[in-house]
Amino acid sequence: MSQQKVTLHREKIPEEPSYNYFVSAATIAAKLDQATHIAKQLSLTASNARAVALRAGERAAGFRPLTDFIDRLAEITITSSKKINALAATLSKTSASKVRADNTIKHFDLVFKKASESPFIASLDNVFTQCKLKQEKLDYQYTRQLGQLSEELSMLSSELRNAVILATLSRVEASHAGSQYQDALINVADNVEGAANKIKTHIKFSQQMVSTLQ
Amino acid sequence: MKTHKLFENNNHTWLMFGRDNEKPEQIIDSNQYMVVTKNNAFLMDPGGIELFSAMLAAVIKQVPAEKITHLFASHQDPDIISSLGLWDQALPSATLHSPWIWESFIRHFGMENIKYDAIADEGGEIKLDNTLLQYIPAHYLHSSGNFNVYDSEAKILMSGDIGAALESNNAPLFVDNFEEHVPKMKMFHQRWMPSNKAKNEWINRIRKLEIEMLCPQHGRIFKGDDVKRFLDWFEALEVGLIGKK
Repeated sequence: MSQQKVTLHREKIPEEPSYNYFVSAATIAAKLDQATHIAKQLSLTASNARAVALRAGERAAGFRPLTDFIDRLAEITITSSKKINALAATLSKTSASKVRADNTIKHFDLVFKKASESPFIASLDNVFTQCKLKQEKLDYQYTRQLGQLSEELSMLSSELRNAVILATLSRVEASHAGSQYQDALINVADNVEGAANKIKTHIKFSQQMVSTLQ
Repeated sequence: MKTHKLFENNNHTWLMFGRDNEKPEQIIDSNQYMVVTKNNAFLMDPGGIELFSAMLAAVIKQVPAEKITHLFASHQDPDIISSLGLWDQALPSATLHSPWIWESFIRHFGMENIKYDAIADEGGEIKLDNTLLQYIPAHYLHSSGNFNVYDSEAKILMSGDIGAALESNNAPLFVDNFEEHVPKMKMFHQRWMPSNKAKNEWINRIRKLEIEMLCPQHGRIFKGDDVKRFLDWFEALEVGLIGKK
């Protein structure tokens, strides 16, 4: 049922993001910012689960250990989302600098073409070399940051697989808690699964975007 | 991009760059000026990003890059200085001279290397080898922080947007018939210049200078008697108006 509640957002991945890769990087950053917010909701769910389990007392004895796992999942997701968000923001910044560096080289190439006969054309060699070095450095940073982002996304994606198991176990334990607390605990399970699915959607979108940038 | 020599003596040379036939059509044509002395070159209102490669190619035909030690931006407009981020890479040791009020705005164009020399409201001067150039206040004409550059030896005033005309990039370099030129600059001055008071103060200031050539950033250069004709015409013109194009 939780899966019916979750709207899986199908978003179109630009076909040629490499053409404007800095826009893609900014889009990834924005997507992962949303993931961080959802992860915070997961944390609230964990607190709520603990409160309900305490109120339910012995009837929710099997549920209580699960709240620790929800807590842990929320903590890991928040930490990881924040890290991924920061990486994406850095990548976005690097991409913008890379665009500027690439444009500078294009302008210089034009100058070398237009002023090839100039007696002073060699006076640009030194600054051109510096610009090329800067461009190469940014290229390296861009590739490295993209790799790090990809790795972190995969790690979080793996962690979130546990959310489905956690939700299923929570539902089983909720069914033993009696009618008074059953709905509240099932709601907790739904929230865990719902939040995890939403984050996974953002991660999947980001992974697809990242793969087109690599 | 065409290059014209406006003045030359033992100390220095004035060059004008403009009438770029390769520029995108929707971009206003602009005149760039450069004073070259023994060891320095002072590039005025170097232009927008779209003009950068044409400008650098033109400039590098005249002087080596390291000789361009100074840039000047009369004000903050994109057609004046949006190329700064690229000049910043090409001339990392240069200094940009520009009104103090625009420093934090102009830096948005990208300035990691070039040094900013903030010109005070009352103006100032710069000595390049044996040549003295003066920054003449021209505030509110049209920008609220705005300077002209005056060279008393060459008797040249680089007047920025004052005296500018909107016309094709094949236009002659100099005004040859003042009366015929007036329609090309009337709307520009009425619409872009906001203050009659600022205009009249500028005219009083400029009348005290000896000027052979008044060189605007767009359109044609005024020479000889046309300089006085322009000042008389501008004095009589009411500005700060929204009229028909």
